[in-house]
Amino acid sequence: MRETGRTRLILALLLVVALGLITIDYRSGDDSPLNGLRTAGSAVFGPMERGTAAVARPIGDTISAISGAPAAQRRIRALEQQNQRLREQARAGQLNKEQAKQLDSMLHLAGLGRYRVVAAQVIAMRGRQGYEETVTLDAGSRDGVKPGQTVVTGDGLVGRVTTTGPSTATVLLLTDASSSVGGRLEGSQQIGVVQGTGNGGTSGRLRFEVLDSQAKLEKGQRIVSFGSHGGKPYVPGVPIGTVDRVEATPGSLTRTAVVSPFVRFTTLDVVGVVVSPPRSDPRDAVLPPKPSPSATPSGSPSATPSGSPSASPSASPSSLAASPGSGG
Amino acid sequence: MRRRLFAAIVVLVALVLQVIVINRLPLPGGVVPDVVLLSVVALALVYGPLPGLVTGFCAGLIADVVPPADHTIGQYAFVFCLVGYAAGLAQTEMDRSSVMPFVAMVVGAVGGCVLYAVLGGLLGDPRITWATARHLVPLTALYDVLLSPFVLYLVFRLGRRFEPIDHDTVLTVGSRTLDRYRSR
Repeated sequence: MRETGRTRLILALLLVVALGLITIDYRSGDDSPLNGLRTAGSAVFGPMERGTAAVARPIGDTISAISGAPAAQRRIRALEQQNQRLREQARAGQLNKEQAKQLDSMLHLAGLGRYRVVAAQVIAMRGRQGYEETVTLDAGSRDGVKPGQTVVTGDGLVGRVTTTGPSTATVLLLTDASSSVGGRLEGSQQIGVVQGTGNGGTSGRLRFEVLDSQAKLEKGQRIVSFGSHGGKPYVPGVPIGTVDRVEATPGSLTRTAVVSPFVRFTTLDVVGVVVSPPRSDPRDAVLPPKPSPSATPSGSPSATPSGSPSASPSASPSSLAASPGSGG
Repeated sequence: MRRRLFAAIVVLVALVLQVIVINRLPLPGGVVPDVVLLSVVALALVYGPLPGLVTGFCAGLIADVVPPADHTIGQYAFVFCLVGYAAGLAQTEMDRSSVMPFVAMVVGAVGGCVLYAVLGGLLGDPRITWATARHLVPLTALYDVLLSPFVLYLVFRLGRRFEPIDHDTVLTVGSRTLDRYRSR
């Protein structure tokens, strides 16, 4: 009986400690005194994750390679033998080449926008059972990564750094439900807020809320980041996504659209942390060239008058930076 | 001492496995099982309420700071501590029936998922809405239940090896349970 009493006492004690931690961390928000604990966690577990990730990566890659396309089961069966043979040949080389390609396109984007990036690899990830969509990168404060910096891939915006350890950094993805980014419609002054929906793994959609209810908003328009003061937490001009569908919100002060991001969050691998923002807003220069008119379902002639959407010509000052990327 | 070492190893392995391998698995529904929760329940079932709740608290606290964590520190510590205690209470019932450990695992797994969602909801976490929780909690609990026999088996089996062999004190109830599993 005394044993039970002691157990209950310790239970109560630890629960109070946990509640105390929650309260302190919750009330003090971003300047929480417990951030030191997070940094210590990164310092201790970061290297461990780095070490294990090197071993576990091929396993994960193989698993996702096999089960990545459930819709194409029949096709997979037919191609399996050939696939097996090819994979044997290509495994080592292909992985490196793929990463090199991602790195190349990321540097190309960095050149277009005049960002300075530190390249990093995704080594660990939070599952949705914790409701967070965050990843760990293998670059940390030693590489110049600081909390609040923007993370990009060659395709567009990934998220921002929240915590750093000496050799690792935690990134809050765009798709996390607590993430919101200022966004600007391509070729116009319309600004709004891009929010995650918290189901990046399944649908990977974002919400874009335009502040002006009269704003012209239609399918196929593209969104770039608006940027914050001093480039933190988000640098300006990074491509975010394409408007997928506009939601009818009668009576609302804002207009909402569903946006499909340029980045595929389920297959993140090589990313770049923007360690120094561009001196001036690159506007739409970083957006990929407009797709051919046949690809867009509703040809909108009214989209052109604003002048700047033709992305590649306006990028002339940065074409100098772009050429080495295309050469290599 | 050996038990503490074993519990620490199990929790650490589960944590690292969780963030590096399991969270990347492309399972249907986009949800993955929570191995850390399962290992806490299994350890509590072997060692009883007090070690269970201490293990749960420590595992939770580490899960709160392991990168990439971005939630309020203490959430997992609170949940795992309670779950560890509850599962430990079931230890004395373990000898009554051979399905008892599995029932305890299921209850622990489901309870942990629900409790975490409720606590997050109380804290006003913008990520935890009724819509997401309604989708995530049952699916996570289902995966946890499916995986639980394997975690249970591993912890019971390996835990037996870490028992002090030449210890002349009376075996605890938990160790007797271990013997039963050992003899099968």
